Amino acid sequence: MAIKIEKSFQVPEPADQVWKVISDPRSVGSCVPGARITEAVDEKTYKGVIKIKLGASVTDYKGEAHIERLDDQAQEIVMIGKGQDVRGKGGATMKLTAKVRALPEGGTEVATISELNVIGILAQMGSRMIQEVANQIFEEFTKNLRRQLAPKVSENAADQPPEETKPIDAGSLAVSASIRAIGRIFKGDSKE
Amino acid sequence: MIQKTSPEIGGFGHSVKRKEDLRFIQGKGNYLDDVRLPGMVYGHMVRSPYAHARVIAIRTEEAKKLPGVLAVITGEDLAKAGLAWMPTLFHDKQMVLATGKVLFQSQEVAFVVAEDQYTAADAAELVEVDYEELPVLVDPHKSTDADAPILREDREEKSNHIFHWEVGDRDATEQKMKSAPVTAKLKAFFPRCHPAPLETCGCVMDFNSSTGKLTAWMTSQAPHAHRTVFALVAGIPEQNIRVIAPDIGGGFGNKVPVYPGYVCAAVAALTIGRPVKWVETRSENLQSTGFARDYHMEAELASDKEGHMSALRVKVLADHGAFNATAQPTKFPAGLFSICTGSYDFSSAFCEVDGVYTNKAPGGVAYRCSFRVTEAAYLIERAMDVLAQELKMDPAELRRRNFIPPDKFPYLCPLGWNYDSGNYEGALNLALEKIGYTELRQEQAEKRKKGELMGIGISSFTEIVGAGPSHTFDILGIKMFDSAELRVHPTGKAIMRMGTKSQGQGHETTYAQIVAQELGIPASDVVIEEGDTDTAPYGLGTYASRSTPTSGAAAALASRKVRDKARKIAAHLLEVSEEDLEWEPGKFSVKGAPGKSKTIQEIAFAAYTNFPEGMEPGLEAVNYYDPPNLTFPFGTYVAVVDIDKGTGEVKVRKFVAIDDCGNIINPMIVEGQVHGGLTEGLAIAFMQEISYDESGNIQGGTFMDYLVPTAIETPHWETGHTCTPSPHHPFGAKGVGESPNVGSPAAFVNAVVDALSHLGVKHIDMPLSPWKIWQILKEKGVAE
Repeated sequence: MAIKIEKSFQVPEPADQVWKVISDPRSVGSCVPGARITEAVDEKTYKGVIKIKLGASVTDYKGEAHIERLDDQAQEIVMIGKGQDVRGKGGATMKLTAKVRALPEGGTEVATISELNVIGILAQMGSRMIQEVANQIFEEFTKNLRRQLAPKVSENAADQPPEETKPIDAGSLAVSASIRAIGRIFKGDSKE
Repeated sequence: MIQKTSPEIGGFGHSVKRKEDLRFIQGKGNYLDDVRLPGMVYGHMVRSPYAHARVIAIRTEEAKKLPGVLAVITGEDLAKAGLAWMPTLFHDKQMVLATGKVLFQSQEVAFVVAEDQYTAADAAELVEVDYEELPVLVDPHKSTDADAPILREDREEKSNHIFHWEVGDRDATEQKMKSAPVTAKLKAFFPRCHPAPLETCGCVMDFNSSTGKLTAWMTSQAPHAHRTVFALVAGIPEQNIRVIAPDIGGGFGNKVPVYPGYVCAAVAALTIGRPVKWVETRSENLQSTGFARDYHMEAELASDKEGHMSALRVKVLADHGAFNATAQPTKFPAGLFSICTGSYDFSSAFCEVDGVYTNKAPGGVAYRCSFRVTEAAYLIERAMDVLAQELKMDPAELRRRNFIPPDKFPYLCPLGWNYDSGNYEGALNLALEKIGYTELRQEQAEKRKKGELMGIGISSFTEIVGAGPSHTFDILGIKMFDSAELRVHPTGKAIMRMGTKSQGQGHETTYAQIVAQELGIPASDVVIEEGDTDTAPYGLGTYASRSTPTSGAAAALASRKVRDKARKIAAHLLEVSEEDLEWEPGKFSVKGAPGKSKTIQEIAFAAYTNFPEGMEPGLEAVNYYDPPNLTFPFGTYVAVVDIDKGTGEVKVRKFVAIDDCGNIINPMIVEGQVHGGLTEGLAIAFMQEISYDESGNIQGGTFMDYLVPTAIETPHWETGHTCTPSPHHPFGAKGVGESPNVGSPAAFVNAVVDALSHLGVKHIDMPLSPWKIWQILKEKGVAE
C-alpha cells in the first residue's frame, strides 16, 4: 500500500541549525515516534528499530536507514528506510525527502515528502486509515523535532542519554484517526 | 403427477419441520470445534505477510523453547516426506507450507503444534522468517505482460497464463456481430468475494499407530472425495482413512477444497502420536481459503432493431490467484460458465475464457452456484439491460421476445447444453404481476419528473445444476454420480445413508421425505446419515445444487427397489400374485378388495420373519445414480430500489422471487433456501469485495471490511413458484439452493442502473456501495 505524504512545517531556529539536526540520521531517528537508531553501519547506513503497538502485541520492525543523497549546499536529504518484522506482521519502506529553507523574515521551513509503502497486517487496515495514522506520526515527529531544536541553543543534546523508546500505539492512533476522519466528513471535507 | 401423501407420512409438498433444527437451536449440534479427544493438541498456522517474497530463512528455535510447544513444522520438513506440495482440485499443485517463496499474503509458512491453542498461537508469533520481497502481480490484465514477474517458478511453462478455453462457433458469431443492425457491449467485473460460512474450516486428525488408521474429522462438503485425495497424496491405504464430516455450519463451496491446514494437522498427528486439532480464525478463512468469482467479463449482443437477438459473444479474464485451486469438474476449466446464453434463444454464440495467476489467495470455488453459473447469469442478465437501454425498449419486453419458447424443450443451446425443460415467460409474467410492474413504471416516470431516483431491475436467469452425467463430469477422474443406501428395520423404521453431506440444507428432513413419498414410511421414522466415509456409500458430496438431482434421485430409486421387493413379500403374505396388487404410499392392497392389504411396516417385519421361500431375507437397497443430464432450474426476480441522493444509499423497497425448481419436496425448506440465497446475493451486490492493493495486501480480510448483512440490511423477500418438472429426474425435481444467489445480483444491479439510466449511467460494477453511488450522483450533478 503506497502512500505519499507532503508536509511542511516552520520553526523559529535558523536554517543552518535545523539542517544540522535534519542531516543527522541519529537525531532525525530519535524524532520518529517509536524509532531508535541502534547501530551505524557506515557513514550513510544505520540500523534501527521501530516499535509499533497494535492491540496487545508490540511489534519490532527492524531495519535499515540509508542516506541516498545528502546535499549540504541545497540543504536537502533523501533517506530510504526499510523495516521488517521477522515475526510475521509484515514490513514497511519509506523514502523521505527533506529540504530546509531559510525564510525571508527569519526562521526556517522544512518541506518533506514521505513515500510510504506498508505491507502486512497494518496495511490491511486500509489506505485511508494508514494515511491518518501517518499524519499523526508526522505531527508527533514535528513536535519531537522542535523539542530537539530548542535545547540545542544552550547545550549539546547529543550528549544526553537517550530516553527509553515508547512504542507507537497504532491501535489508539487508528481510533483517533477514524474519529478525525468522521469529523472531517461532517465538516464536508471529502478530500483524501 | 405426484401423489399427495398424508401429513403423518409427510411426503412431497409437506412443510415438515426440519428434524435437525432441534439440536441446532438448542446448541446441541456437533460441529468440528466440538470434537474433543483425549490427549488432543492444537495447531496454529504461521502465515506470510508478503504477497510475493523469497523465504530466506525460517528460525523455529524460540518457538520450540516455549513451554507446551510440541513441534514446529516447516515446508522443508514436509519436503522430506514428499508433502511440501499437494495436488489442487484442478490440474495444478499447491504448496502445503512455503518452500522457496510465498505467492500470496496469508500463505501458509509453518505449522506450530502445542498443548493448547493459546500456546500454539503465541508460539506462532515466535517463529522468525526472513523474507526478500519480490515484485508483486496484482492486476490480472498485466499477468502476461513481458515485464510481469513469473510467479510459478515450479512450472515448466514460464508464464502466468494457466489456460485458454473456448466453446461455440467463433466465425458464425463474428459474422452475425458484424452484420447486426444493433449491438450492445458490456464490460463487467464480478469482484472476488468469499462464501464466509458461519463456521470456518478446520479438522481433528487422529492417527492410531496400533491399527494404522487415520480418523479425520473435517469440515468437508465432500468427505469421500477427500478420503481418496488423502489416500493418493499421503499414500495411506484408503481403508485406513476414515473421514468424518460432523455438523457443518455452512459451506457454500468454501469447504470443497483440501487446505494445507488439513495436511499439516495429519502430518503432526502422525509425528506426535496425539490427535491434532486445527481450526481457522475468521481472518484466516477470509484471507486464505477458497474465494469465488473474480471474473473480468465482456459480453456483446447482436440484435435487430426490434430486439430479436441473434448472437452472443463473451470474453473472460479469470483471476485464479497463486495456484489453480478452482473447484470445477475436470473437463471444465471455467466450470459451467458456458451457460451464459441464459434463457435466450441465440442462433450463434461464442465464449472464451483465459485463466491467469496473480499474487492472491487460490480458489475459485462454486460459492452457492453450480461452478461459475452466477458469473454467467449476472453477465447475460446485465447485458440484456444494456441492450434494452440501447434499443430504448422495456427490459421485460426484450426478454420476452428472446426467451426459448416452452415447446422448444429439450433445447440444445449453441454452446452445447441440452436444457431439460422450461417456461421462462410463465415465471416472468408471474413475477411482473406480483410486483405490479405496470404501476411501478408509472410511478417511476412521475418520480423522475420530481427528480427522485427509483429503479426496477429484472433478472430472468437459468441455472444448470446437478453435476453430473458420467460421460462428461468427473473430479480428479471420479465420476460425479451420487448414492443412497436404504435399510428398513423389522419394525418398519428406516435408516438411509447418503454420499452427500448437508451443511445446513436440511437433508435429514428432505431425504426422509423422499422415502416417505416413495414407501409411505413416515418421514419421522427415517433417519438420514451422512458424512462418515466408513458407513456412507461413496459419493461426491454436496455443492452445485447437486444433492436433490443426484443423491435425491438415488434415494427415490433405492426406495423403489425396496418397494419392488415389498411387493413380492406382500403378494406372498396376501397369497395373491404381484399383478393383483396396487400401491398407495404406505400399503399394498389387493385390486378390487380394498380391505385386503398389507402396510409397509407389516411387510418390513415379514422381510425378517416370514419371507417367501428362496427369497433373500432383509429389506434394503443401494442406488448409485448417474444422472442422464443436468437439470435447469430457472426463475424471474424483480427488485425495486430507491436511491438516497444525499448518501448514495440504495434501499431495496420490494423484491419478488419466482423460482421454478420443478417438483418441490419441502416448500418451507425451499423458501428458507431462497431467503438465504437472496440475502447472500444482496451482500454480493451491495457490500462485499475482497480486493488487494498494489502490494498485494488484502483489503477485506476481516468482518470489519468484508461485510455480512444482518436482519437490518435485509429487505422483505416475497417468494413464489411456477412448476416445470425435470423430465429426466425420477421425481421431476431440479434443485434450488443456489438459484437465488445466481439470479439476484443482476436484479439488484439492473435496478440501480435503471434508477440512474436517464442520467446516462449504463453500468456500475459491484459492490454498489453508498460511496460508489454517491460519487456517480455527484458526477452527474444530482447529489444532495
